[in-house]
Amino acid sequence: MPLAYLSDYSWDDVIPIPQDDGGENPLAPIAYQDDYKTATGYLRAVMSFEEVSERALQLTADLIFMNPAHYTVWTYRARLLFALKKDLEEELIWVEEVGRQFPKNYQIWNHREVIVDKYDNPSRELPFIEEMLELDSKNYHVWSYRQWLVRRFDLWITELAYTDRMIEDDVRNNSAWNHRFFAVFGKGDDVSQSIIDDEIDYAESAILKAPQNASAWNYLLGVLKCAKRPVSEIEEFCNDLAAVQTTEHSVDVDTDQITSARALEVLAEIYDSRDEVDKAADAWTLLAEKYDPIRENYWKFKKSQAIHRLAATA
Amino acid sequence: MHRRVHRTVFRSRAGSRSSNWSSPTSTSTSTSTSTASLVTTSCAKKSPRTRKPVSTNPNTRVAIAMTAEQNNVHNAEVSVVDSLITESSTAQDEVVRLCTGLIIDGQLPLLQRQLHADFLKIPMSFKLPPNYTGLDASKPWLIYWPLQALGILDPDSLTGDILSRIGPSIMACLNETEGAFGGGNGQISHLAATYACLNALAIARDEDVWSQINRERLYKWLMSIKRPDGGFSMHVGGEEDVRAVYCALASAALLNIITPELTEGTAEWISRCQTYEGGIGGAPDNEAHGGYAFCALASLCILGNPVEMIPKYLDVDNLLRWLSVRQYQPEGGFSGRTNKLVDGCYSWWVGGCWSILEGALFGITKEEILWSKADLQKFILCCCQSPKGGLRDKPGKSSDFYHSCYVLSGLSEVQHRYSFSLKLPGAGSGEWSFMWTCELELPDVVMVDEKNMVGPINPVHVLPAGIGERMHDFYAALDAVAA
Ligand SMILES: [Zn+2]
Repeated sequence: MPLAYLSDYSWDDVIPIPQDDGGENPLAPIAYQDDYKTATGYLRAVMSFEEVSERALQLTADLIFMNPAHYTVWTYRARLLFALKKDLEEELIWVEEVGRQFPKNYQIWNHREVIVDKYDNPSRELPFIEEMLELDSKNYHVWSYRQWLVRRFDLWITELAYTDRMIEDDVRNNSAWNHRFFAVFGKGDDVSQSIIDDEIDYAESAILKAPQNASAWNYLLGVLKCAKRPVSEIEEFCNDLAAVQTTEHSVDVDTDQITSARALEVLAEIYDSRDEVDKAADAWTLLAEKYDPIRENYWKFKKSQAIHRLAATA
Repeated sequence: MHRRVHRTVFRSRAGSRSSNWSSPTSTSTSTSTSTASLVTTSCAKKSPRTRKPVSTNPNTRVAIAMTAEQNNVHNAEVSVVDSLITESSTAQDEVVRLCTGLIIDGQLPLLQRQLHADFLKIPMSFKLPPNYTGLDASKPWLIYWPLQALGILDPDSLTGDILSRIGPSIMACLNETEGAFGGGNGQISHLAATYACLNALAIARDEDVWSQINRERLYKWLMSIKRPDGGFSMHVGGEEDVRAVYCALASAALLNIITPELTEGTAEWISRCQTYEGGIGGAPDNEAHGGYAFCALASLCILGNPVEMIPKYLDVDNLLRWLSVRQYQPEGGFSGRTNKLVDGCYSWWVGGCWSILEGALFGITKEEILWSKADLQKFILCCCQSPKGGLRDKPGKSSDFYHSCYVLSGLSEVQHRYSFSLKLPGAGSGEWSFMWTCELELPDVVMVDEKNMVGPINPVHVLPAGIGERMHDFYAALDAVAA
């Protein structure tokens, strides 16, 4: 039996505007259910004369539960909320319900940003964000909303500890690492050398738990670069994870000692930065042949780049 | 500069100053004798360096019987694996298990062309079931994705009847006062919708519909959602991200309405989206992500000469490093972010980054392919083909139009080598993204079965080669007359 659109309000005075898919035989038509068809018919009608009313607001709520990706409904809803001077806290609570029901939906985050910005009160935000990240700890839109929030309300103080907890849960959660970088450098202030040292230690101890973990390596290299400190600073650390014996011109590898291909890669970078191209080339060859063979072409490219650079400067 | 002898057969080169990709079903009378449709076989005859056809038995799903080594693929698991178990590693192990179950040494399945074409024709033949309601605000994409996929998989299946239905279907999404498009009839103007609509109209090749686009209004609307920091919002009151930038610029390029005013500060804004990892996030501070990386690179290719723009606004070394880590062994596919899982759609988003970088920054030698095309081909053919038709994210997922579009576009990137060729004279703003040529990939990079060939694409616009060029030329010609 077809479901009619049910509403607390009367719609008798509104002539719905039917969906026009274009032409006699449109591409990609959807066989909508009747309630959705009716509700979107009313939506097109009330939007056409920009109706501001309680029933329009109710319509947006009903439509969002039928199709939360309908961005037009969200923008109309935000306009209605402000025009009707609705309680914004109540709206935030309602959005939380939507979020729980549709955790993958991302329109809610832009909507929430609009509402919270106007409401000028972030008190509900961190708990809700945390709840959503528990469902999906790498949800891109949630993390990016959190960044907006931190900037907007100057909430930097909590962030390092939060990323620490998330990284503790899963040391490979790259979103948490990215957020940590934001927490340290995002404010744009000068970062003291002691904080840099702390972050280097933090990344190194994370690497020791899982030496192949690209998230921690990228963070470590990112911190060094941002602090304008040389990569050679971590040479010893890398040596412990990729115990290569080097002579003046070459690298010998005790194969049992390589616990991190990333460490070997960084060593190659360090040798290269010192123009020890023979040694760097050996390391890249090892990566290509044994420790990271799917990137063989990349390692060969690094090698030929270094050789060309040396030839050009010689 | 280019060491390879053989040039593209897809591109009309002689005669007109504005040499463009010829569209596969072009009816225009070109003066060029080298104009051809998607004739891959004529390629093989002309040059000894191009691919030799691999003999196949049509009755078997095995196209290439070679060892993994001969085939250049890496089916073995990596030699060093961490023992610490976390949520990420558990998910990763499961994907490796699913993929290795489908990857068999020495066997590469054929592309199930008919099955996929049948799947892709569903939106042209049937009403989509009610569970598609969630995509009701993505109507233009539901039209564009299958058209792009069929446009390279089976262009002949895009019959006159289908092409003639694109115009009305797309124009139903138009908001006349703004000249821009929404995600469906009666929905507010949106950049992603506008991009998908214009791409679909390009494929329609219908000049009557093209002349109905009000470019002045669309330009004003684009300016209205441009932000002071150089970025764009998706719609009035919408989110600002690099996808919006790409959709705005690609749309403006097709319509030949790029101006210095429209693009002021945009390259600088894109530059701010590159993260410490080397990849590019959706907005400044956001995590590096393959989809946004493509949008950023493609945008730079529209903003100016990519040979200059890319190194000027991005740290290329760091970007290359991050991109190269996107490919996983033994799956062979790309992931979109660090420590996330491989997913078929990144065959295009990450593969497209490679095609742009290789085409714009490197000459054309085998060494300058920095990743493994053979492994991506393996992932696509073994893991991304749904037995029910259509292509998918990964084993265990169902196929959909989005993944079909970007997995097949990724397969096209495997099979072709793109290059940016500065078109002189007359190169100018608004034309940069239409100066790409391509040729078949060399067999010593990747062995491709003739039966699996798909057509070339414009790597900036993600349209079958020649299609966007033709639409741009239509408007450029109008503007030349007006001037
Ligand atoms: Zn995907």
